[in-house]
Amino acid sequence: MSAPFAGGAIRAYRAERRKLHAQLSTRVLALVCGLGPLAFGAVLSGQSGVPGDTLLGGWVHSSGYAFSLVVLGFAGYLGFPLVAGALAGDVFSCEDRYGTWKTILTRSGSRGEVFAGKVLAAGALACALLALATASSLIAGLLFVGGHSMVGLGGTVVGSGEALLLVLASWLLNLPGLLGFAALALLLSAATRNGIAGVLGPLLAGLLMQLLALVGSGTWMHFLLLSSTFDDWHGLLTSPRFYSALVLGTVVALAWTAACLWVTWRVLRRREFAGPPLSRRAGWVAPARVVLMASGVVVALAALGNVGPTGITSQRLEASMGRVFERLTLLQQRELGRSVPADAKLNLRTKCQRHSGQTSGPGDDWTCTMTVVSPLAGYEPYQLTAVTYDVSVKSNGCYKAEAPPTFVGQQTMVDAEHRSVVNPLFIVYGCFDTTGEAPRCAERAGCAGSRSGGTPVNGSGAPAKAPSAREKASTRQAERSSGGVVRETERSERELEQSAKGKKSSEESTQLNLGR
Amino acid sequence: MPALIATGLRKRYDRITALEGVELTVAEGEVRGLLGPNGAGKTTLLRVILGLVGADAGSILLLGEQAGPERAVPPGVAGFVEEPSFYPYLSGRANLEVLAEYDEGGARERIEEALSLVELTGRAQDRVGGYSSGMRQRLGIAAALLRAPRLLLLDEPTTGLDPAGVRDVGRLLRRLSGEGVAVLLSSHQIGEVQDLCDSYTVLSRGRIVWDGTAAQMRAQAPASSFCLHTSDDGAALTLAAERPDLAAAQAHVEQPGGLTVSGDQDSLDAFVVALGRAGVAVRSLELAADPLEAMFFALTGEAQSNVGSGESSVP
Repeated sequence: MSAPFAGGAIRAYRAERRKLHAQLSTRVLALVCGLGPLAFGAVLSGQSGVPGDTLLGGWVHSSGYAFSLVVLGFAGYLGFPLVAGALAGDVFSCEDRYGTWKTILTRSGSRGEVFAGKVLAAGALACALLALATASSLIAGLLFVGGHSMVGLGGTVVGSGEALLLVLASWLLNLPGLLGFAALALLLSAATRNGIAGVLGPLLAGLLMQLLALVGSGTWMHFLLLSSTFDDWHGLLTSPRFYSALVLGTVVALAWTAACLWVTWRVLRRREFAGPPLSRRAGWVAPARVVLMASGVVVALAALGNVGPTGITSQRLEASMGRVFERLTLLQQRELGRSVPADAKLNLRTKCQRHSGQTSGPGDDWTCTMTVVSPLAGYEPYQLTAVTYDVSVKSNGCYKAEAPPTFVGQQTMVDAEHRSVVNPLFIVYGCFDTTGEAPRCAERAGCAGSRSGGTPVNGSGAPAKAPSAREKASTRQAERSSGGVVRETERSERELEQSAKGKKSSEESTQLNLGR
Repeated sequence: MPALIATGLRKRYDRITALEGVELTVAEGEVRGLLGPNGAGKTTLLRVILGLVGADAGSILLLGEQAGPERAVPPGVAGFVEEPSFYPYLSGRANLEVLAEYDEGGARERIEEALSLVELTGRAQDRVGGYSSGMRQRLGIAAALLRAPRLLLLDEPTTGLDPAGVRDVGRLLRRLSGEGVAVLLSSHQIGEVQDLCDSYTVLSRGRIVWDGTAAQMRAQAPASSFCLHTSDDGAALTLAAERPDLAAAQAHVEQPGGLTVSGDQDSLDAFVVALGRAGVAVRSLELAADPLEAMFFALTGEAQSNVGSGESSVP
């Protein structure tokens, strides 16, 4: 970029910034981004309910950082496309509406400089609004909930300092997607010369992409959708973290941005500012072209919907679910005041499958049965504790798992200090990497046939006494009899009932039955 | 070096030829009138010169720099096409501030002076959405002045202005041309600009049909034409035909009829006296077109507003 061009672009940027700052829509956007999270926090603080369907929604009363990420989840769903449309969808078309193209293009800026200035102004405003929403959601979270540590998507507890960094990074990672939608808004604004198309177009495109992500199970289309980039931050909150989706998503968002801006520039460069008659003609020709092109893109994406491997497989889900469940179970035990060693592990078996019999693809019909094999010192050599979760898995690899309270207890529980806290096992959130190779069984926590390392935990929460040879043999026999994986949930439950028979009933009995 | 040199400009919209072989030069300090009826191509020519529309052929030099849609308008070149347009949600001053941001140099420092020159200082804080057409026209001129112009391209700048405003704009343009500013002024009415212009370019159907100085146009202009209403138009037409120093045409279209008579003042006086002697009463005699207007109409093939298409020249 030559120095004269940069100078002209900066002058145009300053002019555009002045215009944007003076517009009512910009002020409303700033108000929504600045006050929206605060208002949401205020409303939420007065309620006991949680937005459980949203990732980390169950933790919204536990940590201000979780609250901020819940706001981010909402924003990524439709908020960012809406903001992008509102901030950039009228940047070009307003010049048509006011007839001011001829005014600004007869100043000292070339078309290229005016274009660059407008793009810079829209981009800068997008950054500013994102920063505002980030700050507002964090302030609201810290103000109404507090800066406590949070439970991440890997089931681990993240300290306050690290959580703050993760939240900031998560919001920042949404910038490429926001810029991509802003570029789409700019394209619609320039191509249709219609502010309504520019403002609402990105929102409709966002909705459409969400729909495509629901119907398609192929990984390729999922990663091509611009809306998918709003999920990139999930990988930061898992344990272990994964970055492949983040890198792919950022590349895709940048590609969308570049493509939209390139087409916008082509439209602007070739355009003749020749007065009302041609404008009227272009008033329907250009939108018709855009609609045709958009339809083509949708058809192509829909065709791609099931092309390529699916990233959602039972192996990946089992590996992630087992790991998260194990950590959350141990967290629950700690919160109940039981002594759990730092390296404690559950002897856990996880089996996930769909009602339809399929073993892959996103959907709400997944069930995961977690079976904890606890060695006992008494007559019974082991105890099988099984719990079945209904799991809703999305195409981005994130899932929400819920089990009946009779198995895992209520949404809240009373901890060792007699405080009401969130029951970690009530809703389980997690995400896994949908790219790369599926984890081998030996690498998966809770995978059939694998044994978790670390110190096994017995029924009292204390490190179990090393089982005798006879006990080991009994356990192996039990595992063999269940096929290595407890396929028959009913049988496991029956065994669970038998093992629990005659034992005391208490509030703890509504928790996963490790505490007895 | 001339401030504006346009050579061989051609522009077509589908099958419509908007400009064909247009050559135009405006020297420093010259006020050139760009004349033509509606649809002649004046506004298209200004758009092409300002880079809003690309020419199919030809070249343009503005203050010595090549111009076109891919390039920025050079510093020192200012103007507007059609009615000046602004952001209605901003005040007049804020609009000028936005436009000054686009400009290089000290445009911002000239805002107050420009507002004062067009007498908008008192309304500068008002939103442009509430401005009258004349006020927007004044603001358009102020916006052009921010660029410290050496070449001004104005499309019918007096449209919407009251007589005092027209006079003020005329004075301003005269002053600027006195300072060496070249001005290209488009109009479809020669009467509006004949006191301002040093030279004229007349366009008709996208082609230049006349180009020269104001003195040349006056020299080539026909006699003044008058609209004459009598008690017996037929007798009057016969009497006019007997006088070789008069040209008369009978008008039919505009009610209530009447004749259009062209001739110098002495011939016309003699004709009126002759009508009286012949018993034909003169009911009204009005100037229909001054010489320059008459020439303009002749050049552009436009009928005068009170002259119909079925004219028959006498003799």
